Amino acid sequence: MTAVVDARGIEMVFRNGEEQTPVLKGVDLRLEPGELVALLGASGSGKSTLLSILGLLLRPSAGRLSLASESVDDLSEARRAEFRNQRLGFVFQFHHLLPDFTAVENVAFPAAAPAGGISAAMRRRARELLARVGLADRMDFRASRLSGGQKQRVAIARALMNRPVLVVADEPTGNLDRASADQVLALMREVNQQDQATFLICTHDDHVARQCGRRVILEDGRIQDPASQGERGSDGLD
Amino acid sequence: MFAFTVARRYLTSNPVQTALLVAGVALGVTVFVFITALIQGLAMFLTVQVTANSAHVSLEPATRIARVIAIPQVDTEAVALVSTVQRRQIREWRSVVELVRAQPGVTVISPQISGSAFLLKGEAVEPVAVTGIDPDGLDAISPISSKVVSGSAVLGGDGLLIGKRLADDLGLSAGQPVLLRTDRGGERLLTVRGLYATGVASLDERVAFISLQTARPLFSLDEGVTNIEVKLQEPRNARVLASFLGEATGLRATSWQEKNLSLEDGLTAQGQTGTLIQTFSLISIIVGVASALVLSAQRRRSEIGIMRAFGVSRSFVATVFLLQGLLIGLIGALLGCASGYGLCVWLAGVTKADGTPALPIAPEQGGYVAAVVLTTLGAILASLAPARAAASVDPLVAIQQ
Repeated sequence: MTAVVDARGIEMVFRNGEEQTPVLKGVDLRLEPGELVALLGASGSGKSTLLSILGLLLRPSAGRLSLASESVDDLSEARRAEFRNQRLGFVFQFHHLLPDFTAVENVAFPAAAPAGGISAAMRRRARELLARVGLADRMDFRASRLSGGQKQRVAIARALMNRPVLVVADEPTGNLDRASADQVLALMREVNQQDQATFLICTHDDHVARQCGRRVILEDGRIQDPASQGERGSDGLD
Repeated sequence: MFAFTVARRYLTSNPVQTALLVAGVALGVTVFVFITALIQGLAMFLTVQVTANSAHVSLEPATRIARVIAIPQVDTEAVALVSTVQRRQIREWRSVVELVRAQPGVTVISPQISGSAFLLKGEAVEPVAVTGIDPDGLDAISPISSKVVSGSAVLGGDGLLIGKRLADDLGLSAGQPVLLRTDRGGERLLTVRGLYATGVASLDERVAFISLQTARPLFSLDEGVTNIEVKLQEPRNARVLASFLGEATGLRATSWQEKNLSLEDGLTAQGQTGTLIQTFSLISIIVGVASALVLSAQRRRSEIGIMRAFGVSRSFVATVFLLQGLLIGLIGALLGCASGYGLCVWLAGVTKADGTPALPIAPEQGGYVAAVVLTTLGAILASLAPARAAASVDPLVAIQQ
């Protein structure tokens, strides 16, 4: 099977003048289509850095990375942006919605910006996604009028707009209460199962991690993959 | 165009701030329009004042110049004597008139015999500048007929028109005889047909009009004329026409601008002052727009960051900010033009006690196209730096903030 993510020997060193801080020391990671993977690790372990590299927001200091069978190491900035737009989805701890736009417009934005406008088809898909995340009655509300949980659900719908092969989520429930967090997680699992979209969820919350099919732990700049040792999440896969 | 939708949404998201920003631009444009209309109006007013009673181009015989002649054989130089026996005149004036008439924009051509003379009435003597003109063209250069306050404007063969003030100095009234003695020794008893009061001191105190035929024997000019006066539809073209006629005829052609160099200098200085004020208006607009958009770009860093994260291009982000500048500039310029025009029209209607306008303002000369184009371009220019700043936002940094 073709891997969605094939990262080999990823290293990341942050430089501040003469000072060098190695954060990732040779990460190897392979994600298959349709996987729902939790990325765990202590604070400062480099989870967000790895997520940013896999989301093409950051270039690694060393290593090879292929996404959906395409080597992305030598892509130009413009091409990386295009790749992000067409093949990747993002969910962050903070929703980062555009407050002056409606829920539908926010969801359609990733498709509309390169196309030069929101087409009827885009609007239809955005409405479908919003209905799927339980916001059928909030579609034309401005983002600023939605609750925190609703905003995060809109953010998930936005991440799915362009039918990404990989959705990277950085602490997607970190700002939500338990009830809202459970709703968002359930939604991500549903989308993962129905659309076979691969999810990589960065979290430090065991409750979140247990609902993922597989857990990988980042420790001392390297992946300690319990899956390779037979450790699976609580979704019946173990 | 989706970038336009985003730009419009950004501007309307904070209507009060946007309204203040547009109002600031409109105010700057109002100043621009007002200053332009005032300076243009003032220039037109002064030009009309200067040219209403005088020619726009004057043609006279070329100045006599003594020539230095080198004589190599004897290693010396000699000065060629200039004949002063003959009166300086334009002998072929009819062909010159035809040439002038063929030029575009010429409205009036007045061949004249001008010279110095004295008016004698009993013991009273006053020097005058005599102008011999075609009686039918009395008003060609200066509107004399309408200014006649006593008698009539009909010159006839032995008639004379003089200013009311000159008549008062000589104790003359319309219908009385007066002796005219020219600097050529000619002398004739003429009848004062009418007295005029133009309000221009040099005309009312020192000029006498007689017919061209009456002037010929008095100034010993059987055929020629001493000068040809020309008026144009557009006085500001006088310099170009004078240059052309000077070269084409060999005559000395002088434009009204050359005769009034101090006015020309004044108008130039006034124009430069206006340009300076207009420039400062534009600069204040640019600074205002730039600072507002820089703040907007700063405030929206996380939004821009997320846009960039999901692959929106730098050029899209930059375009959003450039379009905001364009919209602010264009709307502000149009509103400013409207308010500037309204202000100018209102001021143009304010009159002094005598009914003349209090301000020589020309509302139609407000430079509206220039105001809209320059302001819009200025606002786009002002949005360049914020657009660059927004486009260069690192999505990772912005999202983590």
